[in-house]
Amino acid sequence: MVRLLDSGLDQLTAMVVKSGEVAKKAVNISFCSFMDGKDTIETVRSLSDKICFLTTEIEDKAFELIVKYQPVASDLRIINSYMKIAYDFERYGRYALDILFAQNRLAEANKCINSTDLMNKLIEKVYTMVSISIEALKEHDGEKAKTLANIEEEVDKLYFSYLERLAEMTERNRTIMCNLLVVRYLERIADHTTYVGEAIVYVSSGEKIRLR
Amino acid sequence: MDKEKIDIRSLNVWFGKKHVIKDVNMKIRPNAVTAVMGPSGCGKTTLIKAINRLNELIKISRTTGEIFIDKQNVYGKEIDVFELRRQVGMVFQKPNPFPKSIYENVAFGPKLHKMANDKELDAIVEKSLRGGALWDEVKDRLKDDAFSLSGGQQQRLCIARALAVEPDIILMDEPCSALDPAATAEIETLIRELRQRYTVIVVTHNLQQAARISDFTAFMYVGKLVEYGLTKNLFEKPENELVEQYITGKFG
Repeated sequence: MVRLLDSGLDQLTAMVVKSGEVAKKAVNISFCSFMDGKDTIETVRSLSDKICFLTTEIEDKAFELIVKYQPVASDLRIINSYMKIAYDFERYGRYALDILFAQNRLAEANKCINSTDLMNKLIEKVYTMVSISIEALKEHDGEKAKTLANIEEEVDKLYFSYLERLAEMTERNRTIMCNLLVVRYLERIADHTTYVGEAIVYVSSGEKIRLR
Repeated sequence: MDKEKIDIRSLNVWFGKKHVIKDVNMKIRPNAVTAVMGPSGCGKTTLIKAINRLNELIKISRTTGEIFIDKQNVYGKEIDVFELRRQVGMVFQKPNPFPKSIYENVAFGPKLHKMANDKELDAIVEKSLRGGALWDEVKDRLKDDAFSLSGGQQQRLCIARALAVEPDIILMDEPCSALDPAATAEIETLIRELRQRYTVIVVTHNLQQAARISDFTAFMYVGKLVEYGLTKNLFEKPENELVEQYITGKFG
């Protein structure tokens, strides 16, 4: 039986998935640009703004569904979680922009080549987490979402190793300051992927867990 | 639930050959609102009517099992059914005031139970009408016909009438289904207040109403108690798939 609520939920799902895809694109462009020293800040800014706009639309739609249908059980869990996830995607986009902003302000983009092994690994793992979070969302796959916990631990280790390495350096320059901020932003994106993962576990099973 | 007002054990009810309540076990907390939900014909009303033995008014009914109120089996031989129905009051779907004055409606029960003389009766009527959140609206026209009241007021009068005989437990069978949204809101507010002094059990088809007013919710299906627990849990994360389907409207 198709319920009136179902078409609204389908629309909401499409909006959240779209927001996730745009966020993933913003993260991808940001990471590549940071590593290659390209200036794509305006592209990423535009994507980040698009995600913010989608977040507002998602909130409006979610409130409309709550007002019209007073959803309960799995329907309510989906709507509540999608509002949270929309915010997390907004953060993906914002940190993606912040990375390029730090690079632009603190280091000349074309001189800020960051091919250190630790930074490479960190970026790779965070991008993997972003991808997993969006795949898990599309499939409402709580088990896939739970795999984020292990990667997040690895990201934390890399993050602290990187901080240690920077702390040991006697040299101080703008590139180092930039990298300090960037690893922090990467770590925050990783955290937000686990929030998305937690929301997906809640959607799929009602279980409230922490993936950090 | 370790502290219960009502303890229903292995309850079975038949109407003729039809088995309408099937081995229900349920402990009901005092000073709480318990909602009973489920599709039409699942046995909700029969379940609550078993508590004050109203099913017995139907000749073809047969009941087995036990229901303890404060550790006393209401199906025990020593039970005075008249007294039981004083202790367990009931409010029905449609407001059903007697064709008498507002005052007489409330005074009727205490008179029947010989609970008070005329002077004491005035105090009981006032206390009951206050309990039913109706006193301020009717105190200057107690002699008016009960049917002069609005639907919501009539239902609150019926609640006041139930309170007048000092029950411990109040059973309500879809008490708002015949009322408009404003009157429904009045009754819902009153139900939440009543739980401070009484054990309230409400049968309702309205899911949002169950979510709003109850502390615990029971879900019944074809005579069986399928799920029973905290209302918040049942509406957020039901354990039984049937409950999930029913409350999200995917049922059937």
